Amino acid sequence: MKILFIHDESDNVAVALRDLAPGEILEIEIGSKTEKIEVKEPIPFGHKIAIRDIEKGSNIIKYGEVIGIATDKIVKGSHVHVHNIRSLRY
Amino acid sequence: MEFYGYEREDGSVGVRNHVVLLSVDALANRTVKGISRLIKNTIPITHPYGRLQFGEDLELTFRTLIGTGSNPNVAAVLVVGLEPSWTEIVANGISKTKKHVDTLTIIPNGDHKAIEKGARIAQRMVSEASELRREPHPLSSLIVSIKCGASDTTSGMASNPAVGEAVDRIIEHGGTVIFGETSELAGAEHILARRAVNEKVRETFLSTVKAYLDFALSKKVDILGSQPTAENIAGGLSTIEEKALGNILKTGTKPIQGVLKPAEKPKGRGLWFMDTTSSAQETITLFAAAGAVVHLFSTGQGNVIGHPIEPVIKITANELTVKRMPEHIDVDVSGILKGALDYREAGDLIMKALLKTASGKLTAAEILGHNEFALTRLWKSM
Repeated sequence: MKILFIHDESDNVAVALRDLAPGEILEIEIGSKTEKIEVKEPIPFGHKIAIRDIEKGSNIIKYGEVIGIATDKIVKGSHVHVHNIRSLRY
Repeated sequence: MEFYGYEREDGSVGVRNHVVLLSVDALANRTVKGISRLIKNTIPITHPYGRLQFGEDLELTFRTLIGTGSNPNVAAVLVVGLEPSWTEIVANGISKTKKHVDTLTIIPNGDHKAIEKGARIAQRMVSEASELRREPHPLSSLIVSIKCGASDTTSGMASNPAVGEAVDRIIEHGGTVIFGETSELAGAEHILARRAVNEKVRETFLSTVKAYLDFALSKKVDILGSQPTAENIAGGLSTIEEKALGNILKTGTKPIQGVLKPAEKPKGRGLWFMDTTSSAQETITLFAAAGAVVHLFSTGQGNVIGHPIEPVIKITANELTVKRMPEHIDVDVSGILKGALDYREAGDLIMKALLKTASGKLTAAEILGHNEFALTRLWKSM
């Protein structure tokens, strides 16, 4: 069973399909490539994990579209949510 | 694909056979409830407004009340108001469908006499309606509305694409589907706009979304906390854009035929966009007033919404919600996220539930008595 759900190859976040614990090593498939990713902090079911390092001020990509902007540097494997991203619309 | 429905005088086909007691204004609510206690199989529809409204706001209230009474799921309507003038406006609007409509006013009867008179009228309506029988009708006769609520990331991953699959099939069979939630399209409107049937529809669609967002911005308040909502955030959704990109998946892939005003009837078959709030009770009230007879409602964290006359089918892909709130879920598509179900199979489950509901099977919300009805107000009253 899949643990992470990636909507689009260009996404820099994935959705956790179960609760994730710090230290877990997950394998992700992006296109034809397989990569390893270490979970940095607890991430609940349905929440997002960074699958790339994301610089402060850069776009958060999900569904291949911009869903917001990073308000902090986000390290690969970290929880991505309202504490470190914000909408570009409001 | 067929279902067993009730054909009305105007050629429309309903999936329920309700006798409605409709309040024109809040002051009629006691009488409407009084009649409904005396006469079985009546549906009381009450609300807190209907006095001293004016202009576009009043027009929307009239359109919503007239549309609700005109809905094909309704066999007959008793319109109840404080005074005759607005009561007649609502009743005359519904009469165009040629269904049995009668009126009752509180002045000069007072509550007691109004309830007695109303009970006698309602009794006849229920007796007449009970003689009508379901007949087979093609799927193309159905007007379906769609909206999601208490969304989370499972909505965008699974339940909304599954609804989108069903929407495409309804339209391929010649049916009609209405979606709305103008405020929840922010961040995804450019994607939907590509599906407008022509340039005029594309422009109207984009300007409608922009006007709604400009209204929110003009109030100079942070709408975070409203969009996304607290339960959206608990479910992992972080921004309005993320919510919107998941939301639009339930509209499938077919062209958008046009933009409807709130509570306005679609002008043909296919997929239609209605300018609405994203609040479930208001949006479904507007869809039902436009003639939608069944609603497909996808939820992540678990919304419990129902409607007095339009059955609401709840669909979720969130396994935790199925476990926590099973009495509210009609279709469980959580198998998608476990790899046990693909989107096509999930679409099959939704179509099966749709046809069963349209043929008379009660939804969870109907059995639980969820009958939320809320008028959308545009302005202050005078």
